[in-house]
Amino acid sequence: MDNTKEATPDISAFLASSIHDMKNSLGLLINFLETSLPELGLDTQKKAAPMLYEVKRVNDNLLQMLAIFKVGNQFYPFDLSENFIDDFVREIVEQNKTMLDYSGIALDVEFDEGLAWYFDRELIIGVVSHALNNATRYTKDRLMLSVKEEDGELVVRVEDNGSGYPISVLDAGSAVSKGVNFASGSTGLGLYFSSMVAKLHNNRGKTGSIALENGGKLGGSCFILHLP
Amino acid sequence: MYMNPDTASLFTGKSFLIVDDFQGMRTMLREMLRKFGSRNVDAVANGKEAIAFLEKNKYDVVLCDYNLGSGKNGQHVLEEAKYRDLIGLATAWIIITAEKTADLVFGAAEYMPDDYIIKPVNESTMRSRLEKVLARKEMLADIEKAVRDKDNDLTVALCDRALASSKSNATELLRIKTGTLLTMGRYDRAQQEFEQILAKRDIPWAKTGLGKATFYKGDLAKAQQLFREVISGNPAYLEAHDWLAKSHEAAGELDEAQHALTRCTELSPNSVIRQKNLGQLAHKRGDLETAENAYRKTIKLSEYSIHKSPDSYLGLAKICSENDNPGEALQILKDVHKEFDNAETSLHAKVVEGLVYQKSGDRINAEKISREVASLVKADDSQSATGVMLEAAQLFLATGNKEAAENIAQSLVKNNHENAELLAQVNDLYGQAGMQDRGEELVNNSRQEVIAINDKGVILAKEGKLDEAIRLLGDAHSLLPGNKRIMINLANMAVMSMRQNGRRGDLIQIADNCLKQVAKLDPQEKWCTQLRVALEAVPQ
Repeated sequence: MDNTKEATPDISAFLASSIHDMKNSLGLLINFLETSLPELGLDTQKKAAPMLYEVKRVNDNLLQMLAIFKVGNQFYPFDLSENFIDDFVREIVEQNKTMLDYSGIALDVEFDEGLAWYFDRELIIGVVSHALNNATRYTKDRLMLSVKEEDGELVVRVEDNGSGYPISVLDAGSAVSKGVNFASGSTGLGLYFSSMVAKLHNNRGKTGSIALENGGKLGGSCFILHLP
Repeated sequence: MYMNPDTASLFTGKSFLIVDDFQGMRTMLREMLRKFGSRNVDAVANGKEAIAFLEKNKYDVVLCDYNLGSGKNGQHVLEEAKYRDLIGLATAWIIITAEKTADLVFGAAEYMPDDYIIKPVNESTMRSRLEKVLARKEMLADIEKAVRDKDNDLTVALCDRALASSKSNATELLRIKTGTLLTMGRYDRAQQEFEQILAKRDIPWAKTGLGKATFYKGDLAKAQQLFREVISGNPAYLEAHDWLAKSHEAAGELDEAQHALTRCTELSPNSVIRQKNLGQLAHKRGDLETAENAYRKTIKLSEYSIHKSPDSYLGLAKICSENDNPGEALQILKDVHKEFDNAETSLHAKVVEGLVYQKSGDRINAEKISREVASLVKADDSQSATGVMLEAAQLFLATGNKEAAENIAQSLVKNNHENAELLAQVNDLYGQAGMQDRGEELVNNSRQEVIAINDKGVILAKEGKLDEAIRLLGDAHSLLPGNKRIMINLANMAVMSMRQNGRRGDLIQIADNCLKQVAKLDPQEKWCTQLRVALEAVPQ
């Protein structure tokens, strides 16, 4: 019998240890870029700054794939806990500050003072950072993050003043919230992840959701997350 | 927009310990802390070094990587530091991890870190998390102290006060408060609290808590339903799986219990306790293959853990013996003597050794050990665990040492005369030895003897002869120090007497001692709580 294939190794065994390694490396890379950029000459700075965006993309993708893998296998420790919104917004802003500063992009922030909401912090920060990272690529020079309570739901908006989502992305956005995922590559992964995270958040019969629109306050693309 | 508050003053005077196996990470973390204004930073590369540094120095903050290569992991180090009191209540322990695991997020409260940070670590997250943790530690300091002192009333009072004064940390305060109510046996009040929280929002810990209160109040089916609801919304919620297993076991549904426990060990593959529970349950069910596997894993996992215990060694030795492998069984028992140096464990290992020889047909050695155990048991004033005593009785019966068997069986029955499961086990032992009639006679006589003393005491008390009743039950208590019913009655009579005749130091001591011992034997005994309240209400 020569058609016996070598058994496929159990990838999950390697996954845990290599993710540990990769995250260490990413941490060092991000930290190196953030602390070294100010020391560079202006020219080099301009060339190096986008690398920060690229490293964050790798990190986003890694986080998304790991979460999807774990949720699918019912292993994700979904940590529904109360988060103060001002504190949550501050963490997101600080994480993205260096990248936005070097790209010359302004970030406006609006949120309800003193509001607290129940969600899984790691996952929601993952979704919002990813939306900000995307918007950074498509905006002209201004982004807005708003986090407010509307009709008993938490509504998070990430808007920009670029030329808006192409039709194909808008279509993919409305499809994924109906449970179909036909966007491919990084757009597909990001949309699937965001929609999965939204749906994990349930409260008393209501389920979270995402939506993509054009327009909004800044006239560009607009990512909206609803959490019950 | 956001001002970075001047936090240097918060960090300047604090001491830090960094534990990470990766030189690059140690340097990066040290550099971050230096930027925050900390001057006092130590860094080590593994768990062993961490413990050595914690033994010598006091730290305000420990930043510990979860994955430390071979040897102890970050959770092991944390557990050992807490268990050995190497860190005080004020020390903030932060675990840094590449991935969020069920153990880290839903682990046992007493061994949880104060916070966890998921990699990649960046400066802004590290700074804001540290600020938050230090502020929270300060706010919860008196509550953490009350929890560690096991002062339940004070814990609840402090939580109430903090909840009334500020909105911050509300969830944590409610969790501590409701958890304490459950420990105190105040199930109705705990239930009310959980229902209030759940009326506003579906929260897994609150629903699990409601399930626990329901479990303690005896409605196992309803409790199981609640745990299942939590799991269906949150499949990795460890505690709900633990309790689902527990409530199935309590209902005698061992197959379902094993199923739930298996899921626990999948979600929490490094937990020594869950693996051990699985081994013991499977052993009880007669699923020797699963039990053997689980025991072997427990032994391997517990190498670096404070949760290392002889139970899984002894369990594995019994299974090897049952599988006709006495050689390995005896080797494991030798390991027990090497690994655990205490009298009770040595006695238990000896009993099992005797049973292994007996099973393998080596009568000479079995009888020799049986005689040794008999003299050890005789000299043993302290009450060894019932499990050991039952197995000793089994060994005595199997080796024809009838007198020793009778003594131990009588003591077991008299100290536990209301424990139906144990009485049945004693009966079974005699049945297996072909002495069913003798067994029934012994169990009945011993049981009746205790009931008679108790009844006599109760009648005396009813007639108002409280002093006489207390004397009678006090004597019975010295003879049968493990009997719960006698202790409860004795405490009750002491309280009654003081209600009539005023407070008396000796009666307070009797009641207090009894209640403490009952609470130790059976933390869920409802009489304990009520009598404790009555005792404290006795006027000065």
